[in-house]
Amino acid sequence: MHLRKETIAIQEELGEYCRTGEERELPGITPGRIHHYRRLISNVVHDTLRTAYPITVAALGESQWEQLVQDFFTEGIPQTPQVWKLPFEFYQYHAGSESGNRMDLPFLDDLLYFEWMEIEIHTMPDRPFPEFVSEGDLFQNTLAFNPEYEILKLEYPVHTHPVREAIQMKGDHFALLYRLPESGNVQFLGLSALNAYIITRLQEEKVPLNEIKNEFARVAGIESGRYLDDALEKYLGDLLERKMILGFIKE
Amino acid sequence: MKGKAGMVGLGLRRDIAEEILDNKILTPDFLEFAPENWMGMGGAWLKVMERAVDQYPITCHGLSLSLGSPEELDWEFISELKGFLDANKVAIYSEHLSYTKSRNAHLYDLLPIPFRQDAIDHVVDRIRRVQDKLERPLAIENVSYYTPVAAEMTEIEFVNEIVDRANCKLLLDVNNVYVNAFNHSYDAKEFIGKLPLDRVVYIHMAGHEQVEPDLIIDTHGQPIIDPVYELFEWTIQKMDPVPVLLERDYNFEDLEQIQGELTQIKSILKRHWEVNHASA
Repeated sequence: MHLRKETIAIQEELGEYCRTGEERELPGITPGRIHHYRRLISNVVHDTLRTAYPITVAALGESQWEQLVQDFFTEGIPQTPQVWKLPFEFYQYHAGSESGNRMDLPFLDDLLYFEWMEIEIHTMPDRPFPEFVSEGDLFQNTLAFNPEYEILKLEYPVHTHPVREAIQMKGDHFALLYRLPESGNVQFLGLSALNAYIITRLQEEKVPLNEIKNEFARVAGIESGRYLDDALEKYLGDLLERKMILGFIKE
Repeated sequence: MKGKAGMVGLGLRRDIAEEILDNKILTPDFLEFAPENWMGMGGAWLKVMERAVDQYPITCHGLSLSLGSPEELDWEFISELKGFLDANKVAIYSEHLSYTKSRNAHLYDLLPIPFRQDAIDHVVDRIRRVQDKLERPLAIENVSYYTPVAAEMTEIEFVNEIVDRANCKLLLDVNNVYVNAFNHSYDAKEFIGKLPLDRVVYIHMAGHEQVEPDLIIDTHGQPIIDPVYELFEWTIQKMDPVPVLLERDYNFEDLEQIQGELTQIKSILKRHWEVNHASA
């Protein structure tokens, strides 16, 4: 280390001033100018987070939102060199410090998580696509799922309801987020627990629906038969239309 | 890229990416990425980046290396960066002579390094190690600053010793020289005259905003003003041809105006560099 302790201390004092706004002793500065650094850094952080979390901003209102940002700006230690990933660290910081409970916003973690995951799915590295054909049978052929998806488990259905309603609906809720192959746009769907399970199992097993549908009947507590087949056909046919299912694995 | 006189580029910002790639109004000769804004991306943005790499020569201008920070360099990030630079056939990689990280927290803006001997020793060592890891020269940019902090020497002494001892290249930001000369009351031409111009591999031009009677902020959001064009024209007559980039980070409403700036920079280059080449 070539730096003197004094130089390190000066550099860190400037950094701390920028994050906290607390006046620091900084030698040799031009009076009245140092605040511009804090302002510029604050603008980057505020703009990045506001852009990433429009639903949270609207749901909380300015005062509570600003409190969240200020707490993070002052106390958080951003680790990512890529500022577009900062919203994820913002989510992690508030989930870790239980801000939602402290501020009587029990849905906060879910809302931040859902909004971040929209960004994550949109920007994440490409995943390998299966070889598939568009013609096939939903029951007899192995379904080719769009690999660029995540299923989120949430306590509050913030993806389908305004927060004032979602807050009354604590339970197990599932959201499917996936990226459209051509445009890269992110789509999302609310799922029942059973529908989330069906996607997960079909993806894991990579077998035709006929080979596994009895398991779904057991999980759902219903008889395997026409009713189940109709429900599966409707659900999976809808996913096919929505391009969450691309087609059928090429054999 | 160095041999191609008169190349004028533009930063690839997401707001104008489609516009640039479709070549409707904006017609730069090359594009500059901030690697941090594009590394590790897939989906639609990866497609945009791949189109850009297919269509244009590429330079990269880093944001988060934090050459002046006390803490250790982020070698995981630098490894990833190397992969990105290699994969995208990047002709020039530049970074700021500043620090963006303090007490292990990224701050996402450029803080001024104290102009001190120990800071020079520290930065020289770090530039050398980064160059070794990346297996390419690093061009460091003279940054704009709004106040010195604990300086024990002048800015020009600080910059020149680092460039000399680190054996690195220089990105000369002409607007930053103008901004600093205004903010700290020195002569911009005298400053540039003292720089090792033979080390300059790249030039940045940009607009700025005067926020107080004695203070300019380097915003990259406004058109370039005439005195900066004049300083640019004066400068390029003293050096060999290098690529020139127009930095514009926001205010993209008037693309014709931005294209006008590209054209104006190019016309200045033509007045000097192409004539010099023809007579060489």
